[in-house]
Amino acid sequence: MAKIVVIGAGFAGQTAAIYLGTRLGKKHEVTVISNRDVFGYVPSWVWVGVGHMKPEETVFKLKPVYDRINVQFVHAAAKEIHPDPGDQYVLGEEIGTGKPVRLDYDYLVIAPGPLLNFAGTPGLGPENGFTHSICSLPHAVKARDAYLALVERMKKGEKVKIVIGTGHPLATCQGAAFEYISNVHKDLLKRGLRDKADILWLSNEPALGDFGVNGVQVKRNGIVMRSEEFIKSVFLDAGIRWQVQTGVKRVEEGKIYWENYEGQEGITEFDFAMLIPQFKGQPFKYIGKDGQDISAKIVNPAGFVLVDGKYGLPYAELAQTPEAWPARYQSPAYPNIFAAGIAFAPPGPISKPFTNPNNFQIAPAPPRTGMVSGMIGRVVALNIVDMVNGRQPGHSERMTEMVAACIASMGDSLWDGSAVAIVMRPVVPDRKKYPNEYGRDLFISHLEMGTAGAWMKFMLHHTFLWKFKALPGWELIPE
Amino acid sequence: MSEQQFSKSEKFWMNFKLYQLWRFIVLNIKIYTIAVQSKWR
Repeated sequence: MAKIVVIGAGFAGQTAAIYLGTRLGKKHEVTVISNRDVFGYVPSWVWVGVGHMKPEETVFKLKPVYDRINVQFVHAAAKEIHPDPGDQYVLGEEIGTGKPVRLDYDYLVIAPGPLLNFAGTPGLGPENGFTHSICSLPHAVKARDAYLALVERMKKGEKVKIVIGTGHPLATCQGAAFEYISNVHKDLLKRGLRDKADILWLSNEPALGDFGVNGVQVKRNGIVMRSEEFIKSVFLDAGIRWQVQTGVKRVEEGKIYWENYEGQEGITEFDFAMLIPQFKGQPFKYIGKDGQDISAKIVNPAGFVLVDGKYGLPYAELAQTPEAWPARYQSPAYPNIFAAGIAFAPPGPISKPFTNPNNFQIAPAPPRTGMVSGMIGRVVALNIVDMVNGRQPGHSERMTEMVAACIASMGDSLWDGSAVAIVMRPVVPDRKKYPNEYGRDLFISHLEMGTAGAWMKFMLHHTFLWKFKALPGWELIPE
Repeated sequence: MSEQQFSKSEKFWMNFKLYQLWRFIVLNIKIYTIAVQSKWR
């Protein structure tokens, strides 16, 4: 009987757990260890953050789901991983009691989601800083409360400054921030308060609409349209100002300090700010059999797990080498360890990195949340199924092969809400397979805005919660 | 689409419910088809 341990129960971990439980759970031991006992549907937290959705509508308890699909659940925070052959186990601390937990494994999936590195930007974040975040449910609730308090001030006639975007020069997940700024705009419009707010998009992207993926390009009526022009139209239409090519360095009460591509430093004042922090890998300790720290064999300095990618290529070479991106998400040092979602180390950025004259690097990190996370979770789980059944791992999907769809909400109303539907293939440009300027399939890639997007976003909320609960037919719903 | 704001015609189609129903169906089919292809890997 094989023992499989999954660390984390987000998009990647939950997808892996469902595939593993339903395929192996009856004959083998599948265990999920997570510091949260609920699954959280992250894409809808943007609505929680403006008070349009109750937090409890975005979560469900994990244990009842796992009981149905033969997965054991341990509510504990993983702390140490002991990967050396002969005695492979994860050490954790039970939530609530602090009791140590030991889980032996034959196969390990590391999918704990990101460490939100607010400390990387002094003054950032809702706990020890002055800005807000929608990257966790408690943060989204705090952002909502602060936003609604701001609305009350606006109702009294006060004019306010709202800043939304990225809070670190190497941050990712611009898409979530875009959704939030669009929903704030729409909400204020509906309340009749839009004229009371000056809204600014502040981001580390090289261009508007870059989203950390080098933008999206689609062919329409024979003309290539870029997301830069599209998002520019969206912001012009909404009266949202923008400032890109900017890395936030620190935050003080009501003031954001930044530096841009030209090396200029500046201060932006705010009454309310939601800035996405840098993501890092979870700070697990990797311990060898002699008790030594072997982290360097398994993770990069940011804590992301090194897998079967080619690391260290300069950007120009990486952009021409699609096979540098990992295919199986398997550790070369320990082939029974896999990483899924944010946890795996990408071989480099997708968007062109930039270093300004002051040697200050401003470069969005590659996004690997949502659909990408789910797909990697599936690939990893199916490869473990292969290995447990005595076969070679037969599943692979590089981000240079992956298609991704993103529905960016711009108001949740099913009548007058809207959303931008974005489809791109591949997520990371493959200039060998698609020898155009952009390295993408311009026929499949898609960019469209309208009420249909709001309906899709609503539908996805319900269908994905269905899937992540492993309810009948879950496998028919793609990742 | 113009290089600046959306035109009146573009805004009309973005909000015209019958057309949006058509786009909803088309988008669903497109995304489902390409996402399912990924499952075969």
